[in-house]
Amino acid sequence: MFLELTEEQKLIQETAREFAAAELAPVAAELDGSDDRGPLLANLKKLAELGFMGLNIREDLGGAAAGTVAFSVAMTEIARACASTAVTVSVNNMVCEVIQAIGSEEQKRAYIPKICSGEFAAASFALTETGAGSDPSGMTTQAVDDGDSFVLNGAKIFITSAPYAGVFVVWAVTDKDAPKGKGISCFLVEAGTPGLVIGKEEKKMGQHASATNEVLFADCRIPKSALMGRLNDGFRTAVGELAGGRIGIGSLGLGVGLAAMDYATKYTTERAQFGQKISTFQAIQWMIADGYTELEAARLLLMNAAFRKEQGKSFAKEASMAKMFATEAANRACYKALQMLGGYGYTRDFPVERYARDARITAIYEGTNEIQRVIISREILRNFA
Amino acid sequence: MKILVCIKQVPDMESRFKPNGSGVWFEETDLAFRMNEYDEYAVEQAVRLKEQLGDAHEVTVLSIGPDRVVEAIKKALAMGCDRGVHVQDPAASLKDPWQIAAIIAAYARDKGFDLIFTGMQSQDRGSAQVGVTVAEDLGLPCTTTLVGFAYDNGTITAKRELEGGVKGVVRVKTPALVTCQLGLNVPRYPTLPNIMKAKKKEIEAIPVGDLLREEARTATASFHPPAKKGGGIVLEGEVGALVDQLVGILKDKTAVLR
Ligand SMILES: Cc1cc2nc3c(=O)[nH]c(=O)nc-3n(C[C@H](O)[C@H](O)[C@H](O)COP(=O)(O)OP(=O)(O)OC[C@H]3O[C@@H](n4cnc5c(N)ncnc54)[C@H](O)[C@@H]3O)c2cc1C
Repeated sequence: MFLELTEEQKLIQETAREFAAAELAPVAAELDGSDDRGPLLANLKKLAELGFMGLNIREDLGGAAAGTVAFSVAMTEIARACASTAVTVSVNNMVCEVIQAIGSEEQKRAYIPKICSGEFAAASFALTETGAGSDPSGMTTQAVDDGDSFVLNGAKIFITSAPYAGVFVVWAVTDKDAPKGKGISCFLVEAGTPGLVIGKEEKKMGQHASATNEVLFADCRIPKSALMGRLNDGFRTAVGELAGGRIGIGSLGLGVGLAAMDYATKYTTERAQFGQKISTFQAIQWMIADGYTELEAARLLLMNAAFRKEQGKSFAKEASMAKMFATEAANRACYKALQMLGGYGYTRDFPVERYARDARITAIYEGTNEIQRVIISREILRNFA
Repeated sequence: MKILVCIKQVPDMESRFKPNGSGVWFEETDLAFRMNEYDEYAVEQAVRLKEQLGDAHEVTVLSIGPDRVVEAIKKALAMGCDRGVHVQDPAASLKDPWQIAAIIAAYARDKGFDLIFTGMQSQDRGSAQVGVTVAEDLGLPCTTTLVGFAYDNGTITAKRELEGGVKGVVRVKTPALVTCQLGLNVPRYPTLPNIMKAKKKEIEAIPVGDLLREEARTATASFHPPAKKGGGIVLEGEVGALVDQLVGILKDKTAVLR
């Protein structure tokens, strides 16, 4: 047993931490409160140039080939400063990984280097529909074979980064009559393709700088070469890739939770009431102890899931456990932190209310935590059947 | 051209320092370490010089210390240095600047380095002696506290920071040694692909015993935090009396009123 990061992982963590403190933290509050995405896009470009968009991607495709543990610690450091930037980086990495996993060599060369280099500001993962959230196999977006092309029709919802994505990984039904989940395929659709329409942007509780949009397909014609992986085998891919993405989202949650606890804990050593620092009250000390203990447990679960993925072992159950526990620990940490600041925590003069709003979604997207529990219990029960 | 950069790994300056058991240095357990800030300027400048001159020119990065300093060496390699030298010394913090300089000089003596970069000082010990002593040991000209650097055809033009914001310009021919100050450049972040590629670069390990022949010339007698200052003074009472009291204190204890 050896629970230390390698030197390379530590250097990646240090680079992420220093970049986040210097470039992301100073603009996070401003991004939260305005519609101007300029600073977000500028920082995404810099992060791409440093290699953060393809952490687990082959070198010859422009990736860092640094592995999943490095991905996890980088996500946590970025999220400590700005959750909106972090989710964009997480989705970009996930898109790169799905293309690397099932794309043809030609597809890999066409898209991955552009995401890794920042030529594309972002990439989108378009699975969810209004009628197909927790149950994506219930999707109705269709891709119809029309000789030398496919024609897409339908609508996706809640698609992260859609307005500035260069490429979309899109799931659509290719065999209506197949059993559930057996007739879905995966496609690469480039931004600007006629018939691909970026719909309305959601007004959200948090993670404001990250755009979440409807994406519509109206007779959107794409070449046959846009099919990624095997026909009708797309759903399996989606499920597999989401497991990796969960490590990213859990790590993101951990970062936001740590930011909240760090801010609040420092605050309690400065704020005095009843003639003493509030950190001397046992009630506050217990919040500090509980908050950090849960986040440390979350970190270890994440490291375990990331390490297993990196080692090529099964990791779906561990990734779900880590995502579920880390994002819930992060939400509890944010609300504890808010409580530790009293009324000030509820105001926008302090960052903790933003952390609380930003953390909330991590228990919902990339599979709700109820779905994580379904996956975890299914994996466990399998051994008892 | 052969370039040497000497770097030290120091604790993160945000750390809480407490004296170690022997009371002559700080307790290192649990501290997070990173590359000395001034050495980052040195590495950056060396790498820029290599970029200016072309790939045929080689930058070696050297650090003395326990195994953990390999991380700092790897960072320098990821920033663009070509090869690393780790002088293995678990007790580097007990050596005085004279010995540290002697180790570096012993390594560099016959290697034909045209230019040696060091930081102006280390953030933890802050002696600012190692760079200049290495130059003396090797009989090299030396210029210190660089905030500007240019190289052309064997001549360095160095801008130096002097007291009170005054700047000086020094020209020196290679071989030479320079020490780097805050403001010289903005060190690059190592890119992630370069961090991973640095794994393949050579790091030569040399036991300190192979290089060190010198005894220490200075000894640290004690390492301790400054005595706690007394708390502030709180004056209470009527405004008129308060003003008199305050004026009295300002006259007696400060230079504000004379
Ligand atoms: C900000 C944001 C960004 C997003 N980004 C993306 C993106 O980039 N790409 C993308 O494809 N999607 C994205 N999503 C969609 C997200 O993944 C879904 O919202 C999520 O999977 C839940 O689906 P739903 O919203 O339809 O909720 P529903 O599925 O309707 O769930 C409602 C409730 O029912 C529960 N529930 C449902 N089924 C079960 C069950 N079997 N057992 C127990 N409980 C159950 C859920 O846990 C939840 O509590 C994003 C969403 C948001 C809000």
